[in-house]
Amino acid sequence: MQEEQLIQGLRARDKKTVDYLYEKYSRALLGVIFRIISDQDIAEEVFHDAFIKITRKIDSYEESKGRLYTWMANICRNSAIDKLRSKEISQSSKTNGIDDFVYGLESQSGTEEHVEGIGVKELMNELNEDQKFVIEYIYFKGYTHSEISEEFEIPLGTVKSRVRAALLVLKKNIDRI
Amino acid sequence: MNIQAYIESGKLELFLLGELSDREREEVLALAKQHPEIQKELDEIEEAMLAFDQASAPIPSAGLKEKIMADLEKDFAPGKELKPTVAPEETGKVVKISPWKPFAVAASIVAVIASGLAIYFASKFYETEEQFLALVQEQEVLADNLNQVKLQYEETDSRLDRLVAGDFKRVEMKGEAFEMQKDAKVDVFWDQGQQEVFIAVNKLNSLGGEYDYQLWAIGPDGPVGIGLVNPGERFTLQQMQAVAEAGAFAITIEPKGGSQSPTLEKLVVLGEVA
Repeated sequence: MQEEQLIQGLRARDKKTVDYLYEKYSRALLGVIFRIISDQDIAEEVFHDAFIKITRKIDSYEESKGRLYTWMANICRNSAIDKLRSKEISQSSKTNGIDDFVYGLESQSGTEEHVEGIGVKELMNELNEDQKFVIEYIYFKGYTHSEISEEFEIPLGTVKSRVRAALLVLKKNIDRI
Repeated sequence: MNIQAYIESGKLELFLLGELSDREREEVLALAKQHPEIQKELDEIEEAMLAFDQASAPIPSAGLKEKIMADLEKDFAPGKELKPTVAPEETGKVVKISPWKPFAVAASIVAVIASGLAIYFASKFYETEEQFLALVQEQEVLADNLNQVKLQYEETDSRLDRLVAGDFKRVEMKGEAFEMQKDAKVDVFWDQGQQEVFIAVNKLNSLGGEYDYQLWAIGPDGPVGIGLVNPGERFTLQQMQAVAEAGAFAITIEPKGGSQSPTLEKLVVLGEVA
């Protein structure tokens, strides 16, 4: 299904299109949330609300402002960050970093999907320490680049270029995932 | 501008992460439109993010999708497979809405009947009024006639009274002796004491519009006109002018309105007082 068709179907409140959207993107969107909230039950709860929000707010999505996935991922990311910062979530539910995250993933894996490809752990090993650091804070802890810059006294431009470099590595290895 | 430098600035990544200000977002979008390289880079990073997101996701719990889809159920537009369940609802709606229809029909029927009755009674009313007016007119005519008859009766009665009470002589005037009207016959009733004269036409031809019958009393001073005779009023008493002395009475045809002296050539009837 073309992205255009997909958006039209969502705007028409077509059940089959929503089903397709779920099948195609739920895993990735849940991934966005799960990186920030390690408790799977809470992450799924956030995803549940975020997915419903996506289908209901589709009319406010503007194609000219970016691709559909980016819009959806940002909704999920912001929902996860909001949840993380709310008092609902206990301190212990927060992820402590990539190691915890990867450990969490591995502990529940064993399914073919995660066995295939190099996996996130290997992917992270491709990054140098600086890149890992920004990815950890941006992707796994829900920091904004300016928050990283302020908190760790790293120049904003440096944060930006490290994020860029980290994503370039991810991009390079995309086929291997 | 240096496109490569812009791509390497890290702005595109932040754009995809939704971390740019509105002004910076607009800038990225505008440049992506202008430069295919920037758009391509954006698409590639997005793909990478999607792949990374997918890879970092746990296995969703069983029933997550079902719960989400169930919660969204009421949001969905009714699809083709839903139509059969929608159809009975529609008929249900029809039943719900329908009560106004019989009321409307009943109201229309009542309106039509009322209009019909109104027209019927209006026409009846006008018909009756017409009949009433006709009757009133007829009644007026009858009243008029009655008055006339009453008047005539009173007149006749008073004449009869006088005739019976008075001392009248009957003078027969005949036309046998003259050329004008052989069968003409008019009677004069004369009370010499009261000086009253009545005539009763027995037979007298009607005249054209230009002529009148005039009655003459012939006395010692010659003929004196004592009134015009109406030939149509047969067998009724017509009062003439008073005459004290007369030896004979005669009627002549005179020009309309009568003459001072009789036209003897047109003498119709003559009768001598016995």
